[in-house]
Amino acid sequence: MTFSAEKSNMIEFKDVHKYYGDYHALRGITATIKAGEFFSLLGPSGCGKTTLLRTIAGFEGISSGAVMIDGKNMEGVPANKRPTNMVFQSYAIFPHLTVAENVGFGLRKDPRSAAEKAKAVTEALEMVGLKGFGNRAAHALSGGQRQRVALARALILKPKVLLLDEPLSALDKKMREQMQVELIKLQRQVGITFILVTHDQEEALVMSDRIAVMFEGEIAQLADPETLYRRPNSRKVADFIGTMNFLPAKILSEADGKVEIDAQGFGPITLNAEQVSGAASSTGASVGFRPETLTILFDGQTAPDRESMAVVEEVVYYGDMTYYDIKLDGSDQPIRLSMRNVFGRPVLDIGTRTRVAWAPGALVVFR
Amino acid sequence: MTKSAGASRFRGSEAANGLAMISPTATFALLLLAAPLATIFIYSFMTDGYLEIIRDFTFANYVEAWTKELYRVIMLRSLGVSLAVTAATVLLAFPVAYFVSFHVDASRKSLWLFLITIPFWTSYLIRVFLWKVILGYNGVVNSGLLGIGLIDEPLTFILYNVNSVVITLAHAYAPFAILPIFVALEKIDRSFLEAGRDLGESPFMTFLRVTLPLAMPGVISAVLIVFIPTVGDYVTPQLVGGPEGQMVANLIQLQYLKLDNYPMGSALAVTAMGIVTAFSLLFLFLNRRYLKGAK
Repeated sequence: MTFSAEKSNMIEFKDVHKYYGDYHALRGITATIKAGEFFSLLGPSGCGKTTLLRTIAGFEGISSGAVMIDGKNMEGVPANKRPTNMVFQSYAIFPHLTVAENVGFGLRKDPRSAAEKAKAVTEALEMVGLKGFGNRAAHALSGGQRQRVALARALILKPKVLLLDEPLSALDKKMREQMQVELIKLQRQVGITFILVTHDQEEALVMSDRIAVMFEGEIAQLADPETLYRRPNSRKVADFIGTMNFLPAKILSEADGKVEIDAQGFGPITLNAEQVSGAASSTGASVGFRPETLTILFDGQTAPDRESMAVVEEVVYYGDMTYYDIKLDGSDQPIRLSMRNVFGRPVLDIGTRTRVAWAPGALVVFR
Repeated sequence: MTKSAGASRFRGSEAANGLAMISPTATFALLLLAAPLATIFIYSFMTDGYLEIIRDFTFANYVEAWTKELYRVIMLRSLGVSLAVTAATVLLAFPVAYFVSFHVDASRKSLWLFLITIPFWTSYLIRVFLWKVILGYNGVVNSGLLGIGLIDEPLTFILYNVNSVVITLAHAYAPFAILPIFVALEKIDRSFLEAGRDLGESPFMTFLRVTLPLAMPGVISAVLIVFIPTVGDYVTPQLVGGPEGQMVANLIQLQYLKLDNYPMGSALAVTAMGIVTAFSLLFLFLNRRYLKGAK
């Protein structure tokens, strides 16, 4: 699958507002989703992510602003005339139809012959791994099979955009992980723009090219998974994506793209200006870092960058990983540190004093 | 295992508890439903004598019931009236049920259902009498139409014939049709309708391809609930039917109480039941695909 170097814009939100009575559900959404992208809307329940998805499908009107699909303003265009198809959270597999009738539901106006349509249905079922399921009754399917039928039913119409409303939330963990991989492969294979709504940050990180994190009707940060994980632009986003430690810090000076801070437990450090995010606030700054960016140093190991002393307060053993809650010297707040368990390396006991390696480059400062 | 061990196990089982729980109702049903039905069935094979019933087994009653011109006309009329009532009631009930289910705010639905069932607070007999007042020669409809000058003389085809029977029965059975259709519509997950739209169908086509098939179990219940009792309705044809609007129940009443011919009345009753059963089973068979296993 090849794309031109400059991907065109598939979806554009232009200052989209949505009110339900007095409730302001979408507060000025402006964003662009590129053609062929796997895009996720991520946020806690009630943040407006599903509402935003439904404005693309045409199930929700908007109060002001514009939703454009492939350069066309969708105002007044009903759901059945939009070049989008949806996989519903409940899958919405018609219980009165067979699997094949479900998949072929949208082909009624297709000018092809009945035989060609039947062939298309067979191919679509094959693509989602349900070969030979055509004559099954819809109500006799498992959750995972329903979801595949919903996918086939949407993709057979070759939409410009496929909308997925929390499609994996009803599946058990193993099935969910398997479907994540299958969805990524399917998206690469068909090259259609996928827009996924999810509240599961891990799912969003695994599957997406880009993610919009939403809180209370607004997009808090829109970035690729790595940026979102390494450089969240606010404490709120940092808190929502994965685990992040926070320690109080003071900003001493800012000049020439360098920032000097004094962080609890770390002492005075000089960082690059792009490591600082957020608008100035009165509550004081904090420094954030992921558990895996700290490493416990065992005998004979030396820190590649910086080194501090700490006390182990709590140990949580996970088999492949061990999580330690430690307190750095000079800090009164416990922080979490994760270590991969390598063969022959001991798990430390509570109360052990140990050396800890860290790197200024892995820190993020929130004002 | 000994027999007594099996019996004591049965006494403690859930099945025994269940049977104990339904036994008062079951006894009641057996005494007041099954026993009279069996009696009628037995009567229908006996011979009528003067002032008594002769216990001679015979098919003569059935031969008469199936061959005599008068009986056939009345049976066909009963079926025709009942089918017309069923069609009118279900067709008119569907939009009402649809409106309440899809367009009434969830908090108001029970109020609407309450209002729909209010006519039932009045006795059936009084409601039928009231239709006489509405449809009569000097009734509400005629004086209203005369008053606004739409007609010059009162309409006579709206009372004391089949038309008035159909109108009265359709009104009486409307809630029985509305409620099962409403329940079926309520059960439809609204995401099915969105899926229909999403897959390119207009609201009307979504109705035809999604809503209607999913509402069919309710429609089928409504049809049976209206069709089965209306065939045998007695009060309405008696009061508003006139001579040409009499139905099979009136005929059976005539045989039993006026002519004192229990065997003939019973044969007619069993015949009517058989025909209704046959029609209902045929209807269920034709609609079987809507009734299988769907959740």
